[in-house]
Amino acid sequence: MRPVGIAANSTVAWAFAVVFSFPLIWTFFTALKPADEVFGTHISFIGSKVLWSNFVDAWTQVDFGRLLLNSLLVAAISTVLTLVVASLTAFAFARLRFPGRNAVFLLFVITLTLPSEVAVVPLFLGFDQVRLTDTWVALILPGLFGAFGAFLLRQFMLQIPGELEEAARLDGASTWRIFTGVIIPLVRPALSVLAIFAFLGSWNSFLWPLIILNSSDKWTIPIGIAGFTTQTGTQWQLLMAACVMTIAPVVIVIAFAQRQLVAAIGAGAFGGR
Amino acid sequence: MTSAGLDRAKAGLPGRPLSQSGSRPGGRPGTPRGWLRRRPFGGPRWVGWVFVLPGLIGLAVFIVIPQVASLILGFSNSTLLGGTQFTGTENFVRLFRDPQFLNSVLVTAIFVLVYVPANIAISMAMALWLKTRIAGRNWLRVIFLIPALSPMVANAAVFRLLFQKDGAVNEGLAAIGIGPVPWLSDGNWALATVIGVSLWQSFGYNMIVLGAGIDSISPDVIAASRIDGAGRFRRFFSITLPLVSPALFFTTVLTVIGAWQTFAQAYVITGGGPGNSTMTIMLYLYQTAFTNNQLGYASAIATVLFVIIAIFTLFQLWGQRKWVHYD
Repeated sequence: MRPVGIAANSTVAWAFAVVFSFPLIWTFFTALKPADEVFGTHISFIGSKVLWSNFVDAWTQVDFGRLLLNSLLVAAISTVLTLVVASLTAFAFARLRFPGRNAVFLLFVITLTLPSEVAVVPLFLGFDQVRLTDTWVALILPGLFGAFGAFLLRQFMLQIPGELEEAARLDGASTWRIFTGVIIPLVRPALSVLAIFAFLGSWNSFLWPLIILNSSDKWTIPIGIAGFTTQTGTQWQLLMAACVMTIAPVVIVIAFAQRQLVAAIGAGAFGGR
Repeated sequence: MTSAGLDRAKAGLPGRPLSQSGSRPGGRPGTPRGWLRRRPFGGPRWVGWVFVLPGLIGLAVFIVIPQVASLILGFSNSTLLGGTQFTGTENFVRLFRDPQFLNSVLVTAIFVLVYVPANIAISMAMALWLKTRIAGRNWLRVIFLIPALSPMVANAAVFRLLFQKDGAVNEGLAAIGIGPVPWLSDGNWALATVIGVSLWQSFGYNMIVLGAGIDSISPDVIAASRIDGAGRFRRFFSITLPLVSPALFFTTVLTVIGAWQTFAQAYVITGGGPGNSTMTIMLYLYQTAFTNNQLGYASAIATVLFVIIAIFTLFQLWGQRKWVHYD
């Protein structure tokens, strides 16, 4: 491509990106407007006043602080537990031979095609039976066992040369020691990618929290935002402030981990959309 | 059959660094299989079970058993406090006469038939475009990925604001003399809006998957086709498309599964309305189960949805041998 061509191509692409991002840009500016200027007669990004106080109001009026804390806690717990379960499973599939391994592996593969959200009713009934509805236990547990995480880690573990384990083994290391001391440190990059996805998965999760949580003091951000939008007389500027505070952490995470995220998504590690 | 197909799909996954290892569980590239037979850790043969057990139990309890239970509950009149009685095929007879349900199947089918091809086409086009020389294209990739990794509910709330009667989109259109479009108050426009928002939100993800598939095509092949005088279109249809087909297949299968389960966008943007015009199957299932407390009937809906998704998935697995190329 000639330089002029590159410049033209880049300009068109960036123009498209600006149009694409317009909703998010608009959200940010709406979050700073006075209430009666959210719907104006003309499109203007800046209202008569710039009200950073909307963010404070969102914090107090929607109780965004509590939602944020809840979401952070739930996501952190989910992430840690997902990493533990997935790395144990991946280790067994990648580095150990045991009777029935192929059958179990096949079961994991098959679950990838199961439409997970279809099964929310029995899941809810099950937790109701053991009196765990409206708890974080019920909120967190079903999300921990997706097979994608185990497959991602397995792919990385398969690439570790066997000599390392054999050496550790000759030194008398147990299987558990090899897992924690040899394998886990070597797949740390994959673990951090999985951590990001587990975190985002929990952060974004909507249907299951909506079903299982009743009390507003346990709600996560998406439930709070949804409850906010379905009320009559929505205070749009506060809602948009809440949306900005919800999406901003995601943008920051993507910006910092873009290379790893793109590589993992490109490897099909987390399915499609 | 499902598994064999998917196993192959996984074997053909795009992306160089992760998928070199092949489809065989435990088969390590470039290592004689005898290495594994020698039992690397010397411990008892069942030690692997200890490691796999937490994940396996979780998978069984929270994924497999609920799926099976859902199929069974569909034959009951279960409610939250009223217990469960089995009523045979009553729910299903009722379902096929329930205009609300039939409508939700139609709405979701339209969604899938428009959304999936559009998603794949846009993702593919954008992936190809971002392979051309663009200043800062890595940052563009990130920008397009943001909505796909952000909370759907927040995205949907944003679009609810934009598409209000006097919202920014209509204001913008008014400025060029087009006049107010009933985005959310007319049934057809509302469904179109929900589909549009879903596309905006999601294509960035598939764009990356397909982009990795394109990246894994050897430059030699492209160069050879250039020397043979293949034009841009010829090159796309004869080289790129076949070589990226495993990634395309993988993406399509999972996008179809996801599209049939569309929920959050409809819930937040339109609440299923106006007049049930955006009432997806999952939204109807949710309302039946958790607003109207008809858990048995909702499970029957889930069963039908499961069967629909299974048919679409199996059809694609069967159809893949005609167009997906594994090397």
